[in-house]
Amino acid sequence: MTLPDPAASPSNVGDDLGLGLTLPGRGTVDEAGRRRVHPISPLVHGVSALPIGFIIVIGFSFGMVEKLGPIGLLAAVGLAVIFSLLVTAWKYLAWRNTWYWFDEDGDFRVDSGVLTRQQRRLQLSRLQSVDVAQPLFARFFAMAEVSVEVAGSQDSRLKLQFLTLVDARALRSEILARAAGLRHDVGEAPEAPIASVTPRDLAVSLLLRSVTAGLLLLTILIVVVTVLSSGWGGLGIALITGGLPILIVITEFIKYFNFTVAQSPDGLRMRFGLAKTETRTVPPGRVQAIEFVEPFLWRRWGWVRLRVNIAGVGHEDANGNKEETLLIPVATRAVAEDLVQRVLPGLAVDGMVWHEAPERSRRRSPIQWRRLAVAWDDSVFAARSGRVTRRLTVIPHARTQSVRVTQGPWERALNLASVHVDSTPGPVKISGRHLDALTARNVADEQSVRAEQARAGDHSIRWAEGE
Amino acid sequence: MADRTKDAFTYADGWTAVSTKMITARRLTLVLVYVLVVAGVVALFLIPDVPQAVAWAALATAVIVFGWLWWLIARRVRSFGYAERGDDLLVSSGIMFRRLVIVPYGRMQLVDVKAGPIDRWMGITTVQLHTAAATTDASIPGLEPDVAAGLRDRLARRGEQRSAGL
Repeated sequence: MTLPDPAASPSNVGDDLGLGLTLPGRGTVDEAGRRRVHPISPLVHGVSALPIGFIIVIGFSFGMVEKLGPIGLLAAVGLAVIFSLLVTAWKYLAWRNTWYWFDEDGDFRVDSGVLTRQQRRLQLSRLQSVDVAQPLFARFFAMAEVSVEVAGSQDSRLKLQFLTLVDARALRSEILARAAGLRHDVGEAPEAPIASVTPRDLAVSLLLRSVTAGLLLLTILIVVVTVLSSGWGGLGIALITGGLPILIVITEFIKYFNFTVAQSPDGLRMRFGLAKTETRTVPPGRVQAIEFVEPFLWRRWGWVRLRVNIAGVGHEDANGNKEETLLIPVATRAVAEDLVQRVLPGLAVDGMVWHEAPERSRRRSPIQWRRLAVAWDDSVFAARSGRVTRRLTVIPHARTQSVRVTQGPWERALNLASVHVDSTPGPVKISGRHLDALTARNVADEQSVRAEQARAGDHSIRWAEGE
Repeated sequence: MADRTKDAFTYADGWTAVSTKMITARRLTLVLVYVLVVAGVVALFLIPDVPQAVAWAALATAVIVFGWLWWLIARRVRSFGYAERGDDLLVSSGIMFRRLVIVPYGRMQLVDVKAGPIDRWMGITTVQLHTAAATTDASIPGLEPDVAAGLRDRLARRGEQRSAGL
């Protein structure tokens, strides 16, 4: 296959730092066309393990390091290096046994494992997304990892560590092209940038989120009160109420730094990250549900955050952490509308007829009851909620998995019920809460019918076939 | 078109109820758990430092809770019902927190039939439906094995006919 010229690629993710550590040599290819990841990978793993090894040594030394002084420190570093070498050796064995290739059926195959051998076969027709990410240490070597996500149960994510950035991009486009039903040697699809978030906007938006802003305000209040009453007892609480939101703001700032969205024939491509740069490509038709979040303090500028459910992505990463999958962390209305039109073409929320929660729902949700409502048109179901932070969730009928009606004791006393439209796991939950009980049931019954009908006309599995 | 109902949690053509054997099975589980509780109460009576009043209070609480759970199990089991409609399956359950799940046949990814040791001994099984959504949670417990197998096969066949991507 032809590899795209790195100089022609508009992106500059990762090939920075100017260390000149780009290493020669590509992954080996055997006679059957099976490929290996880059031979330098074990070393990258080894170097990434250095700090962890150091922390482990310090942690288990029971103060020996401090007692011995400089010699202790040297010994700790030595042990960490030995640990890192062991990791390198282990990863070398893993590297020798790891092969990936495309088989005759067009499936993506990966064999791996040292003690337990694993053979995996990914059906590319079920591909959900391909990410190229550069963990911090891999960046020093201009290396990247490719993770491939197919629809399926847990553990449907496959990671290849590490390839040169150029190879990683080429592999991504090859996988995407094969999944789209195109020839696989078309090279990397050209992309056009659509939107980006400036560091200033990102920082301001993160600070002004409702809970964050509330906690920071509370912190200021606590500090003022404790200082005025000249006691210092409250400062402990202030440390928590102030420290926690600041920690979250900093974490998200680092994670979503330089967030850019670009359009390519493979789908929307998101790039972000300060320490670890990530690239996420969402093929068309893979967005399962979408949510517009508008915190109170954002409304002045008309800012929105777009959260999405993408099957198999973001619900739990390799470390088991829940992750929020975003289309964009903050954007103006116009930009957000544009993005939404690209993932859900033809969405027109403004024209919908809203079926609101009855007035008696005030006794269940005194603040947000006026906002609670559901609506639908020929292609999507929508639910809105939230007075302080406004939320609007949208799910296409064709993506509806199941429908539920629930009723708690308090709702029952008021003859209310909530209707939930189930989507694949992700941050977006579609719930029309506290509607009239009978309305909720009828909406649910009708939604089930709409879901069944919409699926009949859905053809987004091989999206570029026939082009 | 969907049928209109008078109440949010009923179904016009009536629910298929689950087997009353499940009441016995769940009560058996309750009794097994209570063996431990009784042991705890007996221990309270035997430990000299514990005042008799406390031990008696514990006994009374245990008896009342036992009676309440005994009664609740029957109601919980009777609250389970399912209905196979033309395009989807309805499952209803719950007393305090009522719920109704509607699963379109084409959205089912797999159907599980399973039974624990007590259920197996009592001759009942659970049929559980999975979609691509983790929140679906449509399980029908307390089915006679042949009913469960029949239901599973029907669901699988209908799912097969309508199956599509995500």
